[in-house]
Amino acid sequence: MMQPYQSATTDDPLALECVELRYHYAVGSRADASAALRGVNLRVAAGEMVGLLGPNGAGKSTLIKVITGTLAAREGVARLWGDEVRRLPREEIARRAAVVPQDFTVQFAYTVRQVVGLGRMAHTGALHIPRKADHAAIAAALVATNLTDFADRVYNELSGGERQRVLVALALAQHARLILLDEPTAHLDIHHQIAVLELLRTLNREQGLTIVAALHDLNLAARFFPRLVLLDRTVIADGPPTTVLDAALISRVYATPVRVGILRGEAHLSVLPPGERAPDLTPSTPVAHIIAGGGAGELLMRALADAGLGFTAGPLNIGDSDQVLAERLGATCLLEPPFAPVSPAGLAAARELIRRSGRVIIAPIALGHGNVALLEIALMALHEGAAVWILLDADQADTTGEAREDAMQSALAARDFSGKGLAGYQALIAAGARIAAQPGEIVAALTLE
Amino acid sequence: MTQIALGWKSKSMARWRAIGGVPVLTLVLILAIVLGTAIGATNISPLYTAQIILNATHLVHIPQQWDAVDSIIILQLRLPRVLGAALIGAALGASGTLFQGLLRNPLADPLLLGTSSGAALGVTIVFLSPSLFVISWAGFSLAALMAFIGALVAVALVYRLATRRGQTPVVTLLLAGVAVSAILTAFQTLLVSLSTRLGLRLNDLYGWISGNVAVGTWQQVGVLTTLVALGLVAAIAVAPILDAFALGEEMAAYVGVRVEAAKLGIVILAALLVAAAVAGSGLVGFVGLVAPHLCRMAFGPRHRLLLPTAALAGAIFVVLADLIARSIVAPAELPLGVVTALVGGPFFIWLLGRAGTAYRW
Repeated sequence: MMQPYQSATTDDPLALECVELRYHYAVGSRADASAALRGVNLRVAAGEMVGLLGPNGAGKSTLIKVITGTLAAREGVARLWGDEVRRLPREEIARRAAVVPQDFTVQFAYTVRQVVGLGRMAHTGALHIPRKADHAAIAAALVATNLTDFADRVYNELSGGERQRVLVALALAQHARLILLDEPTAHLDIHHQIAVLELLRTLNREQGLTIVAALHDLNLAARFFPRLVLLDRTVIADGPPTTVLDAALISRVYATPVRVGILRGEAHLSVLPPGERAPDLTPSTPVAHIIAGGGAGELLMRALADAGLGFTAGPLNIGDSDQVLAERLGATCLLEPPFAPVSPAGLAAARELIRRSGRVIIAPIALGHGNVALLEIALMALHEGAAVWILLDADQADTTGEAREDAMQSALAARDFSGKGLAGYQALIAAGARIAAQPGEIVAALTLE
Repeated sequence: MTQIALGWKSKSMARWRAIGGVPVLTLVLILAIVLGTAIGATNISPLYTAQIILNATHLVHIPQQWDAVDSIIILQLRLPRVLGAALIGAALGASGTLFQGLLRNPLADPLLLGTSSGAALGVTIVFLSPSLFVISWAGFSLAALMAFIGALVAVALVYRLATRRGQTPVVTLLLAGVAVSAILTAFQTLLVSLSTRLGLRLNDLYGWISGNVAVGTWQQVGVLTTLVALGLVAAIAVAPILDAFALGEEMAAYVGVRVEAAKLGIVILAALLVAAAVAGSGLVGFVGLVAPHLCRMAFGPRHRLLLPTAALAGAIFVVLADLIARSIVAPAELPLGVVTALVGGPFFIWLLGRAGTAYRW
């Protein structure tokens, strides 16, 4: 199991916190055999946008029900904005967390405005007499979901995508700062799936709403959610898409072999069923030269290859894992004998390759006296007009600003055995080298260029 | 342009209906009451009837131009019965709306959850022992009281049977209702067929069960008014919860409804209203099924508006049906339930055909 994902939290209460949450449906049966939730731990800070993944029966819907108190946890604690759900009255839960279910039809011919108005149930007191604020909330929810023109249409007669927007509007009218979605795009075509997810992203960014969405489509999840939680009755993985959408992990949890990579022209990871034939390994014109070694370039080289982007690499020691991989991926690779330092000839050859592609990417390699000169040729290339990318260590991917600088320095210190690494990096950054947290960023940028 | 114009028109129509529904139906109900009071064994001019009723309120004083006997006929004989019919109709219309909304079933009827068979069994027990006929309370015969109790006990039984671990699923509620109804009806049939004493009263029993307005005194009107008014006010107060139930119980919970408590409360309310109606008139079918549908066609599905309009429509319906029942073969009377079904049925079918696909569940 992976480490729980650490988000940039403040001292404010978490929007959602689950501690060792357990639930099982059948009473009297052996608890663990039928367990829908086997000790779920999850922390979601205010303003996050989290995709909840997992196969059918993984407990995604159950988790949403337990979080909102419609099912009572057998063990463990669920908290909404700092308070235990089981101690909150139903109206208060509704004011703290709104749920958007899968598209459904309602009994009777209610209009869109009337359905959205039901979001005010928890705000209108015992007699449910709407006031100005309630009408304003309904109007605002209709505007935010672009439904104003539909307000007086009959809800049941709308298309699935439109109905889903109405349900999002209902949740907005509820004025809860946390919105939980249970497979909101399950019945929609691709156009409406994207429309709903874009709406959620807009609400997350512009209104600061915290969003937790159970999703089936791994590719859309990767595209829209900066943080993914892979659930299979407990949290299997939690982190950015690059961490969670691991081919081996997904294949195991979904019991289906998959490939994970970045499609040509795309900026996000994709999960695909295994193809009938092996991926096309014929390299295209190299778009960049990679300085790698010791496995530091593995993710990057795979991402480039998956995107169909050719590259060159080296100098690498023969037998180095990055060298083996680069050869397997069909890349031109400059070679040095095993365990030998980089030779002047190798450096010259590397400069030539960088000149040809006009780009160099420095993987987070261990720096020693034998290879620190590679930073110098990168700097020279930069001055000659080449683009230089610095790829961060994988565990720095989710840091930003000063935290990233600190993390970078400490990570660098851990792999710099030459004593010149920090100065080398600082010179590169000062001269305009670009920093990428994930291989995907570089692939995206190269594809766009 | 046409689209926009139509949209505007339908929107303003909807607003007009929302505002005008209750006043218009109230006016129609008043006219129906006057008409129902005016027509009888001796016809009295509706104008005089209205004046007599107005005078009786002591709010106005209109110089008497009518026979003094007319005043007694109207106020002591006919008006209590007509008002009783109106109250019974209102109770049926409102409880039908409550049941349809709660059970999310277009076929739901106030007599569904065991109320009809419970009431019938209660009445049959009374008819079996003639000595019990002397007992009465507030003008209600023991049969009426037993009908009231029988209906409530049956609903309580159904609800109890359908509840497991604090949850009462709607489908279980419906199934338990069907099962309990069948069992209670079987008991009633058993009692009737085993009894040698029922004899001639079998006709009376059958007549009672098929429904007739049995409200004849102001005391009865007072009791019914109290029950029905309280029930209606409470029903209108909880109306938005029924709107939330239209989303399904799970979603209702998500928007902040305490689902199980609300269900129990609504069943109790609806059962009290039905029991009041059954005590006043026996088993009058169709009103509670049709009045909510008619009003939903006219005023839309929102229960805040639907409950009062369905109650008013039910009241109008029963007042007019009672008028037909007692005047068409006068001095004999047709069973009220027969009239509501024979007159209401074709009317409803005609309306459904006319509304066609425009009437949307």
